Amino acid sequence: MELHDRLEEVFRQVFDNETLRLTDEMTASDIEGWDSVAHINLMFGIEQAFGVRFKGNELADMKNIGELKQFLAGKGK
Amino acid sequence: MNIARVHCHDLAATAETHGDTLRKNGQIEQAIKAYLEGVTAPPAAALCLKLARCYEQRGNHAEVCRWALAIVDSGDDYSAWQAGWALFQRTAAKAGRQVLRSVKVALLGSYTTTQLGPMLCLAAERLGIQVALYESQYGQYQQDILDPSSKLYAFGPDIVVLAVHEGDLHLSDYSQNPEEDVRKEVLRWTGLWKMVAERSRARLVQHNFALPCEVPTGHLATRLPGSRYMMTHAVNAKLGEAAANNVSLVDCERLSALFGKQRWCDPRYWNLSKQAVALEALPLLARHTAAVIAADLGLSRKCLVLDLDNTLWGGVIAEDGLAGIKLGQGPDGEAFTAFQDYLLKLKRKGVILTVCSKNNHADAIQPFEKHPEMRLKLDDIALFVANWESKPANIRTIAKTLQIGLDAMVFVDDNPAEREIVRTFLPEVDVIALPEDPSLYLRTLSQYLLLETSSLTAEDHERTDQYRARAQIMELEAAAGTIEEFYRSLRMQAIVTPFEASQLPRIAQLIGKTNQFNLTTRRHGMAQLETFVRDESYVHLALRLRDRYTDHGLVSVMIARQQEHVLDIDTWLMSCRVIGRTVEATMLEHLCRRAAQLGCTALRGTYIPTQKNAMAADAFAKHGFERVGTNGRDEIWSYDLAAKGLIANAFVTSVHTWESADGAS
Repeated sequence: MELHDRLEEVFRQVFDNETLRLTDEMTASDIEGWDSVAHINLMFGIEQAFGVRFKGNELADMKNIGELKQFLAGKGK
Repeated sequence: MNIARVHCHDLAATAETHGDTLRKNGQIEQAIKAYLEGVTAPPAAALCLKLARCYEQRGNHAEVCRWALAIVDSGDDYSAWQAGWALFQRTAAKAGRQVLRSVKVALLGSYTTTQLGPMLCLAAERLGIQVALYESQYGQYQQDILDPSSKLYAFGPDIVVLAVHEGDLHLSDYSQNPEEDVRKEVLRWTGLWKMVAERSRARLVQHNFALPCEVPTGHLATRLPGSRYMMTHAVNAKLGEAAANNVSLVDCERLSALFGKQRWCDPRYWNLSKQAVALEALPLLARHTAAVIAADLGLSRKCLVLDLDNTLWGGVIAEDGLAGIKLGQGPDGEAFTAFQDYLLKLKRKGVILTVCSKNNHADAIQPFEKHPEMRLKLDDIALFVANWESKPANIRTIAKTLQIGLDAMVFVDDNPAEREIVRTFLPEVDVIALPEDPSLYLRTLSQYLLLETSSLTAEDHERTDQYRARAQIMELEAAAGTIEEFYRSLRMQAIVTPFEASQLPRIAQLIGKTNQFNLTTRRHGMAQLETFVRDESYVHLALRLRDRYTDHGLVSVMIARQQEHVLDIDTWLMSCRVIGRTVEATMLEHLCRRAAQLGCTALRGTYIPTQKNAMAADAFAKHGFERVGTNGRDEIWSYDLAAKGLIANAFVTSVHTWESADGAS
């Protein structure tokens, strides 16, 4: 599966929304339910699904899909 | 064996991929079929989720719940649990599920518990416990407890979980006066316990303190009683000592070590959102907390049903013979004896051991009688069933003979086919999947959580003996002529006394978990019992029973309140191990005597029907009470002492101390 689809899968599970579609321009404010609690679940879900570890500050700041994909691509995912 | 396994794994994966394709094409029914073919035991979390989602699309609520809960069995994958809880939560109300208990749980934390809450609910629901959850505001556990008008008390919790962490301890890095500091800190916690007990009916479940992996004084810390490290140890130990019967502890120190302390707390998530326990550790913490709650509610399992060949020893006794089975010698042999030793330890804490084996009886008992390395003896087994019937049929027989529910049983077998049959035909029975390697049997069993007990009483140590006696009595019952002859042949003696302080834990245990012969099912806690004992308007009776076979211990409890000339029965219950032996009449006999002493002219009783206590419905009618009214579904019964005289039981001799007549040693 492509990086985009895998990421979408994680989002769908965390936000419990099977029809959720991601675009690179999306940020936290575009996705319903992306609050501080969901953010924690999301970051953890991405770490588990992709086998990566965010740094402490990245963990707080990753609120933009394009940036997330760039980060994951940079890790060779 | 390995080839078969790989093949099997491949099949499951193929089935799942096939299901994914079908689902994408909107062929949901076919997708479900494909997914079901891919289900392994335990099922994979991802597959459980897919099945739950498919069933949701089909509007099959019961199956959505079933597969959402199956995620708990699939492993401790936080993300899957979180998704499973979302599905379960929005479906459960529509599914019309049967639950064993419904409880209000207040989760009070010293750290962010927003994620722990749902995990705890899911783990509890898996055990049949429906949870209404209250969460304190972040870190507000003390305020909630100290303020009598707090939302906590308005919520009216049945259970208060104190989810707290080491960082919250009021201890300095180094103390000149560690004893005093530890004493003060323990007093802070026990003070909170006491306040909860005074202001609510809740039982407390306290997480103890996981020692951190960072220790500034290093190995030296263990030599310094004043180090925070050693003081934390001391606080844990003292909390254990201080926990009375209304407080249970979850040993987070052990859990964190089991999980790995480096992973138990993730500093990144602590810094970001004050998660003192890492998300990946939450399912484990939730499962253990739920198991402790289940034990408090009397929902733990009581009885292990053990296979023999390749479960208690290596090889097949009927083929390999006494000299050929692996036991005691060699790596596998050692593993089997270690496993048996562990079973004995479980027996000592009150777990009933039974055997269910496809074997000729004469072959099956041989190792128990003759093999020098056998740790388990025939005496340790409450009921020994070796024949060629199906295991589900035999397990039913065992349940019936010992008079325990299927939902109190756990099946232990090395054979996956037998396990599958039992899972399919007896879904109420829990099944432990022993791994292929006998070296890991003990550990696998030790990780099964529903054998938790909330207290140990003298009765627990003797439970298998008592159930063995019961099995013998069932045989006798078959042989004896009339029922009266049978009762007499038991030579029963009872000691009935007011509650004694030393009996209160056992009485609280009985009140907490007796479901069947329980007229009112009022779950009084320790504090309440102590009030009854102090209040002179209450009559309280505890009954101990012996017969020619065994000492059954404290098995029946009655609490009644004098209201002028009427003695009103608040609580009357009897352990199911002595049902059908006329013990009820003995309890009433003693109540009548007390009533007469107090100048009462009538007894009043209430029967409150529940899903489980139908067997007690005729308890009053059988002894000459008359139904005088109803209150909703509750029935009010009355016994006219003046007109009908004292109730007496000819089959049980009431004594002050045990008389060692005929075998009742």
